[in-house]
Amino acid sequence: MKPYQILLSGITILPVIGVIILLVWRKATKIQAAIVGIVSESFALVIPLVLLSTLRKEGAIFFSVPWIPNMNISFSLELNWLALTFLLTEVLATLAAMIYSLGDQDGDKHSHYYYALLLLFSLGMSGTTLSNDVFLFYIFWELMLIASVLLILAWGHGELRFRVSLKYFIITHLGSLMVLVCLITLYVNFGTANLSELILHASTLPRNTQIFLTTFFLIGFCVKMAIFPLHIWLPDAHTVAPMPVTIILAAAMLAMGTFGVLRFPYSLFPLETIQPFAIWLMIAGLVSEVYGALMALAEQEIKRIIAYSSVSQMGYILFGLGTLTARGMQGAIMHVVYHAIVKAMLFMVVGIIITVTKERDIRNVGGLGGKLPILTACAAIGLLGISGMPPLGIFNSEWMIFAGGFDSGVSIALTVITLIGSLLTLVYALRFFGKIFFGDQQPAEIMEQSPRALLVPTVALTVFLVIEGLLPGPLLAWAAQGLSTVFGGVF
Amino acid sequence: MAGYFEIVLPIFILIGGAFAVFLLGRLFAFSNRVMSVLTAAVLAGTLVVLILHYQNIPHIINRPDVFYGLDDPGGIIYRPNAVGVFILIIGVIIGLLITLYSGEYLSRDPRYLVYYPLILLTLAGLLGMFTSNNLFNLFLLTELTTITASALVAFRFKSKPSIRAGFKYLIMSSLGTMTMMLGIYFVYRSTGDMQLVAPLATPDDLTRIGAACFLLGFSLKAGVVPLHTWVPDVYGHAPSAVSGLLAAVLSKSMLFIMPVVCLRLGMTRGELGTYLMIFANLNMLVGSVRMLRQQQLGRFLSFSTIAQTGYLMFGLGMGFYYGLEQAYGVGLFLFMIIAVMKCLAFLSAGMYEYYFGTQDIELLRGAGRQMPLAAFTFSIALAGLAGIPLLAGFNGKWLIFSTAILSGDVFALVCLAVFVLSTVIGLGGYLPMIVKQYQPAPGSEHLTPAGGQPIEVSTWMVVPTGLLSLMVIVIGVYPGPWVNLVSQVMQWMMVTL
Repeated sequence: MKPYQILLSGITILPVIGVIILLVWRKATKIQAAIVGIVSESFALVIPLVLLSTLRKEGAIFFSVPWIPNMNISFSLELNWLALTFLLTEVLATLAAMIYSLGDQDGDKHSHYYYALLLLFSLGMSGTTLSNDVFLFYIFWELMLIASVLLILAWGHGELRFRVSLKYFIITHLGSLMVLVCLITLYVNFGTANLSELILHASTLPRNTQIFLTTFFLIGFCVKMAIFPLHIWLPDAHTVAPMPVTIILAAAMLAMGTFGVLRFPYSLFPLETIQPFAIWLMIAGLVSEVYGALMALAEQEIKRIIAYSSVSQMGYILFGLGTLTARGMQGAIMHVVYHAIVKAMLFMVVGIIITVTKERDIRNVGGLGGKLPILTACAAIGLLGISGMPPLGIFNSEWMIFAGGFDSGVSIALTVITLIGSLLTLVYALRFFGKIFFGDQQPAEIMEQSPRALLVPTVALTVFLVIEGLLPGPLLAWAAQGLSTVFGGVF
Repeated sequence: MAGYFEIVLPIFILIGGAFAVFLLGRLFAFSNRVMSVLTAAVLAGTLVVLILHYQNIPHIINRPDVFYGLDDPGGIIYRPNAVGVFILIIGVIIGLLITLYSGEYLSRDPRYLVYYPLILLTLAGLLGMFTSNNLFNLFLLTELTTITASALVAFRFKSKPSIRAGFKYLIMSSLGTMTMMLGIYFVYRSTGDMQLVAPLATPDDLTRIGAACFLLGFSLKAGVVPLHTWVPDVYGHAPSAVSGLLAAVLSKSMLFIMPVVCLRLGMTRGELGTYLMIFANLNMLVGSVRMLRQQQLGRFLSFSTIAQTGYLMFGLGMGFYYGLEQAYGVGLFLFMIIAVMKCLAFLSAGMYEYYFGTQDIELLRGAGRQMPLAAFTFSIALAGLAGIPLLAGFNGKWLIFSTAILSGDVFALVCLAVFVLSTVIGLGGYLPMIVKQYQPAPGSEHLTPAGGQPIEVSTWMVVPTGLLSLMVIVIGVYPGPWVNLVSQVMQWMMVTL
């Protein structure tokens, strides 16, 4: 085994060491726990960057050790361009959330458990993106769910958190079971759990089986993406979760559904199998986009407004995936990254608003514009960003998605409606911004300054968002290479 | 009597140990803890003998010259049975942990002297049932387990629910054994013999009726729906340690004796498979649905047991119906993991009962904050039963899924859909239960024994539950060796069936 292959395993193993340290180090202060968490998580960021040059040469890096030999199951990882994009997005979102946690009151109690679970949550997602074995994939897929449920249960807000986490677990687990049925069907048919081998052979399955598996995969992953009407777990979970967890849920975990769609049905089966689903994916994307935006417009709870905006944004991504064109799907991958940055940043803004005003109802918050100028600027950039204003990132991805829609030839009308529907994003963004920062309703008490510990990561993400928007080249190249990985060079 | 004494040596040790432990206890007025250690020593000895016997199985399995007893007309012979040894090894390990646990759990019960011998006798009867090749002897050994288990269930005889539970168990189990007796009558009338060494060459209608009687009898003892009505009352009111042994090992092992007897009496594998798969659906649905509304921990776990019996029947049923060897392995694997998880669940519930004096779920809300260890082990057990990855239950779920899909048949896929439904409904029971341990009822400061302070759990309880938790995790994380083990037993099982 070559050194870089062993290094790849570090992405999953080193955070585990961090988890063990945190579980053992019971007397760790919040700062100490955070340092262990952030350092452990940083390995998951640094290692892929170190492996970048090898990845350019090799196209993909593999690591594999036998796990359950008599069942042909191994601890097998693969870093490819698609995985890289999602992995870095997820790790950056987690790091941002961990840094934000330092200034947040969430996680003050039992900090070592809190950061250990954040690490496990991220490990679940890293493992999901890297798994090259379907058994291993499912283990990581569920780990991400279990860690997030525990975080909501233990550090969520209010007594409602017990019911919400149960709802979140059961609904997303139902989606996971659909995925599990597909994974085991593949495993049973080919006698191996190795994903690379399955990708080579899956197209030999009878067409009906391929259609069945694609349907189940898509429904299962759409639950994770929170596509209407499978989104019902999202608003509550996002609202009740502590803010750093909400950031990871929205910015990173939703992306895992997109990754699943690309990694499984799209990678496994030929385009002819996926083609009949295209129109339905686009319609589902459109409905989700409009429904999420309308709900964001109707909501009064500021965290729920941004939560529903995720339902809407995932709609764009699904629409892009449904176009089955290079541009549309590249746009979808780019949208995942841009959405992660914007959403993480917007939730940070919401967190600061709640901390500063102690209010969660948009009707009770107003006039922050003059008092908190930096926060106002960040919010303005974030909300313009999510509305798709150039030159901020989402403009680029939406452009690609809509271009893909027109290219697809499936339905021009559908693309036009989706384009028009995107105006709703602007409407709820303006309502949010106008009411909170320029509304008349002053909250009863208000802090004079945004807490610096919360503001710093927010500003950093804002700057990152602007840079990403202005320099979309590298991301576009990665998305193209990722797509090439999925379709074996067809696109 | 002649032959290979090692076949019956574990039974002798258990029965001899039972009498020895009781007499020594009476003679020297041993304390509960001494009795616990003494019984554990007997079980440890049995375990060693069983493991040695297990290693010898490849050399003696299915050899006509290897038996113990009188191979004459009317004589009784015992033959090696790989599945029986495997199940007993699990049973003895579980029994050993339960015995140690009882070192604390029974410390408030004055009648502990009879408790330990009864556990030994129950296990002796169980092994005898697997090895005996004589129907009448099988009946007697079944009665032995029934009577000793009834006495264990009604162990706390001053409590009315306990007595009721013991009585109900005795009546229902006796009904099962009487049905078997009826079966023996039909078989004897047809063949004039009660030996059951090999499948009957020409089974007639009478022997097939006899087989049906045995099927019914074992089903009743295993808690197959609709013959399950005794399960919640018995496991709900028996001491948790006893429920752990009965639910984890005794009742489910009946599903493995059932095919040995029924197939030899002329029932076809297809018929047996169909029966198991159809009724598995009922068990899975009734168990998981009824579990949701339970207010008492014991009853909650009882209905969960009924659902798990369904999973086991589903796995075994596929094995018989489709002739899938893998499915038998799934059945054995499920038996092993369910035994560990279920025992852990009952023992953890027993810790709550022991320290808080109640099994009422609402009264126990938030108890996990005072007893984090019990809450942890109970959570591990419930999460394992719910099939959460990296715990033993998930591997069982994976194996059931893969076997059903491998069969590729609509019948199996319909049963798989019911299985999925049952696991999802089950989640609705297990997860709230995990949560309730940490979530006190609003405005409730009900947990009085320690005034809300953390409770230090006895080491006698910590060690067995800790070991069981470890087993749930180890089998979950590293299932390879366990799957190998089960595959080996499965091969031997195929030879003897």
